[in-house]
Amino acid sequence: MRLTRTMDILNLSSTLIASTEGGEAHHGADFVNVFGYLALVLIVLFTLLSIAKKGFTGRVFKGYLAGASEQLYLFLENMVVGTIGAKGRQFIPFIATFWLVIFVSNIFSLFFTHAPTADLSFNLGMALISIGYVQYQGIKSNGVLGHFKHFAGPKMTGVLVLISGMLFMIELVSEIMKNLSLSLRVFGNIDGGHQAAEAISTVVGGVFHMSWVPAGTLLVPIKLLTCLVQAMIFSLLTCVYISLVTHHEHDDHGHEAAGAH
Amino acid sequence: MYNFIGYGIAMLGVAIGLGLIGYGAMQGMSRQPEAIGKLQTVMLIAMAFVELIFLLTLFLGKSLIGG
Repeated sequence: MRLTRTMDILNLSSTLIASTEGGEAHHGADFVNVFGYLALVLIVLFTLLSIAKKGFTGRVFKGYLAGASEQLYLFLENMVVGTIGAKGRQFIPFIATFWLVIFVSNIFSLFFTHAPTADLSFNLGMALISIGYVQYQGIKSNGVLGHFKHFAGPKMTGVLVLISGMLFMIELVSEIMKNLSLSLRVFGNIDGGHQAAEAISTVVGGVFHMSWVPAGTLLVPIKLLTCLVQAMIFSLLTCVYISLVTHHEHDDHGHEAAGAH
Repeated sequence: MYNFIGYGIAMLGVAIGLGLIGYGAMQGMSRQPEAIGKLQTVMLIAMAFVELIFLLTLFLGKSLIGG
């Protein structure tokens, strides 16, 4: 029963992919487009990072890119440590990878017709990795039973156990919907930007007969803001999910300590 | 055509929600300028959740109604 419900939700997400890719059921994602642009994104990313790494050889950081990457690291460290706490320092590489890939690919979406993050399947893959890692960390810090007991909410007695069961189901569904929400958010913002630019160009070309004016380009400044915010929100929400899962034991102790005060 | 009216109503609600979040965050920031960093983070998370409602409306409407 629970399995079929899960399968229904997974089917819903594949229906969503199909409906956004032209309404044909299971046409399948365009692998060449996604992977070609993903390869381009990774080439740009690794080139920039290897140039930045050259500046780290001396006792001081030399070069513009090295300084910029240091600032980026400090920003991400501040975000991770502020959300998860001092324990969260081990998650910085994971979070920074997400941030860099999403940000560079969002920047690509400003200049190209396709980008990896403008495709729901790529975003869903990233969300599955993120939520899967969150489950792994939860199991690692609380144990398998502790992690799943955590879904059932506070301890109930007697008939109230039924409520625990209901809570467990709701939490399970919400855990699965986290994948959908993480992926849909990035996809909707980036692909929505593409569609808005296309619509503005259509209006200017069709109504005002000035198709030589690249009017959709006027949206680039506000889309730049969206790029930055979406990259930040994906990594921030991953941080929040990790902190919710790993901090629970700690929080309980905190409550006891607060009661003792 | 009706789905466009529905999208408009959804957009209205989301705009009101985003406005309320911005209003609250700005009031908090002006009252307590030293908490700006924390408030911005929480504001962005709240804005992301409100925005998601509209995206869900859009895609569920697209896939269920077929508009």
